[in-house]
Amino acid sequence: MIAWEAARAAPRDNAAPPPNLPKEELLRRFHPDHAPGAMTALRLGASAGQPCPTELAALLHANALIQDVDIAGSAMRDADVLVIGAGGAGCVAALTAARAGARVLLVSKLRMGDGNTVMAEGGIQAAIGADDSLQKHYEDTLRAGHFRAERALVAAMVSDGPQAIRWLIQQGMGFDLAEGEERVGGRMLRKTPGGATAARLLSYHDYTGLEMMRVLREAVLLTPGIMVLERHPAIEMLTDAHGACAGAVLLDLEQRRLMLARAGATVLSTGGAGRLHLSGFPTSNHYGATADGLVLAYRLGAKLREMESFQYHPTGIAWPPHLAGTLISEAARAAGAVMHNGLGQRFIDELAPRDVVAAAILRELAEGRGLEREGCAGVLLDTPGLEAAHPGILKKRLVTLSHLAQRAGFDPAVEPYLIRPTLHYQNGGIAIDEAGRTAVRGLLCAGEASGGLHGLNRLMGNALLELVAFGRRAGSAAAEAVRQERPRGVGLTHLAVWERGLVAAGLPLDQRAPMLFPPYGNVDVAGLLRAAARVPA
Amino acid sequence: MRMTETPINVTFDGHAITAAPGTSLIQAWMSAGLPLTENVGCMGQGVCGACRVLVRREGERIAQAALACETRAEPGMQVSFVDHFPARRAHSYDLAAMGDSWAALGAIDTVFPEAKSCRHCGGCDASCPKGIEVEKAVNLAVEGQAMAAGALFDHCIMCNLCVAACPEHIAPAHLGQFLRRMSASLSLRPGDLVLRLAEIEAGRQTIDLEGPQP
Repeated sequence: MIAWEAARAAPRDNAAPPPNLPKEELLRRFHPDHAPGAMTALRLGASAGQPCPTELAALLHANALIQDVDIAGSAMRDADVLVIGAGGAGCVAALTAARAGARVLLVSKLRMGDGNTVMAEGGIQAAIGADDSLQKHYEDTLRAGHFRAERALVAAMVSDGPQAIRWLIQQGMGFDLAEGEERVGGRMLRKTPGGATAARLLSYHDYTGLEMMRVLREAVLLTPGIMVLERHPAIEMLTDAHGACAGAVLLDLEQRRLMLARAGATVLSTGGAGRLHLSGFPTSNHYGATADGLVLAYRLGAKLREMESFQYHPTGIAWPPHLAGTLISEAARAAGAVMHNGLGQRFIDELAPRDVVAAAILRELAEGRGLEREGCAGVLLDTPGLEAAHPGILKKRLVTLSHLAQRAGFDPAVEPYLIRPTLHYQNGGIAIDEAGRTAVRGLLCAGEASGGLHGLNRLMGNALLELVAFGRRAGSAAAEAVRQERPRGVGLTHLAVWERGLVAAGLPLDQRAPMLFPPYGNVDVAGLLRAAARVPA
Repeated sequence: MRMTETPINVTFDGHAITAAPGTSLIQAWMSAGLPLTENVGCMGQGVCGACRVLVRREGERIAQAALACETRAEPGMQVSFVDHFPARRAHSYDLAAMGDSWAALGAIDTVFPEAKSCRHCGGCDASCPKGIEVEKAVNLAVEGQAMAAGALFDHCIMCNLCVAACPEHIAPAHLGQFLRRMSASLSLRPGDLVLRLAEIEAGRQTIDLEGPQP
């Protein structure tokens, strides 16, 4: 590792990077998904035998937080559609189901909107350019995901793209237009995300997710037929007499009591797992990203896919330590910022797919060509070079990046960022069909919690598109499913099957999940549940 | 170096805690072993508005509103979380029903009648952690300058501190959101998007599922 001062003094070479290792070898040797011990084969459940990150497998192999007797006296609340998780996907699903006539209960562990969606910076993909097509978007997505994505799902998502943008504008979301274009009839500003063959990224400055989430949150609050319960994490699913999903058990964190939410259809939109800090990585994810939805759905019998694949965003902040893991948008590289190692050399095409760029950075670090600043290791993102090439760009177009630098205490026009990969996105998840249905009757899934859209690597801008496209599909299918049947004989019957499975697999019964909050949140979930059990409904 | 600097003493919601130099208030809360189940979201990006706090710095008389994830702990700070009230459906409107854009400006007063009663106390401006000129935006909206007023709310994260601060119950953040949503839904019609939608509807954008193979 090269010391910060020495590396900063070295001249920087902006020549094109020399060829790195072949892509597959680079990923195999340096991507965290492939590190020895990173994966464990699942030992029970619908996807037994599949590889899964060890930290996540520990949660998927766990027993429930509660048993039948704990919910005996709990109050029951009925809805047509229960939506668990109130980030982007959950809000879109709730809006869609409510407008289709369903009575919707939208529940959230934190507040509505305080998830990963609001933090999205770069943009949303939709093939609207004359030089672009749905087919190109489809092929780019498949190729970036190493051909492991489900073709029918990808086709559904990219076909929904342009309609999704129209729907968002109808909800009141703004988008940037190209320089000098008119609001009526003008062309949209399109950027090229890493790994795409056409300029397809639509955005609102560099806080597209904030613009989307504040519009969705307002729309949910103003739409009749949606009841919102914040600070009500789901801690277990409910089943009916036939093993279909019948809703969920909620923990009311305010009143410290359990509540049964019974519904004809349930949409899981609980997001990702960054706060598990896989392989010890920092994360760009929000505080609540603890894979709760995966744990609950898997215990109920849902299948998982590509669980072994996580996205490490290349440009997380490495220094200063109090901002470690915070994201610097790909927009900086898309605008032309290059990266240098400690020797002042470029080492990878900065706009290669994210998994490749992240692996290349980790290779520089592993082979001693990184930089070290106050004990923090990383490589350089050359923001001064970008500013010199495009004067004013940092202040005007990369607002969030400049704001972050200010909080870190330096001027990005003078000093480069020290960056290293940060755990960013769960590429796989709960297996769904084109309507967002899982293998469990009555249970649907949308957003980051679902799997099959991104294969082994997600393109920038496909996460926001996925949550709109599949939030709408799942919301609509959920409202449809409700009309057919109502749950009867609601309880926790699936837990007996699960416990037998744990015993058969030789796993302990006293490990409990979901975790709800990361360990450094100092939350005593068991204590909260004991308090909840003492309170009569 | 950072590690050898003196720890910082802060009073947070009545707890006397010690923070490592450079840490944000929310990090200081967690490092002190205090439980965190609310007033937290994005953890540092400053976009979700969940971690609202009132901060009084040593030697200052007035407490200031801030976000705990964006504010570094300083010696002698007194801090308390500002809890969120349950969301209410005040100031209700339906964008989809506002078909006639001639009526849109009139809707500002119909939906937000309190806005014209602004008493220019500046409470909203003082409460905004993003430095938005809230009062000016509210007054522009009353004058019918919807786009200009909406633009002033561009960096709003809907933390609702201005809503809590306003003695006239104007709900400025929601007014701003109303203006911005109205503007997009009534006047944003990108030509390239409209053309592509027409192509799709005419069946001229089909996907070959077998497309590329590995």
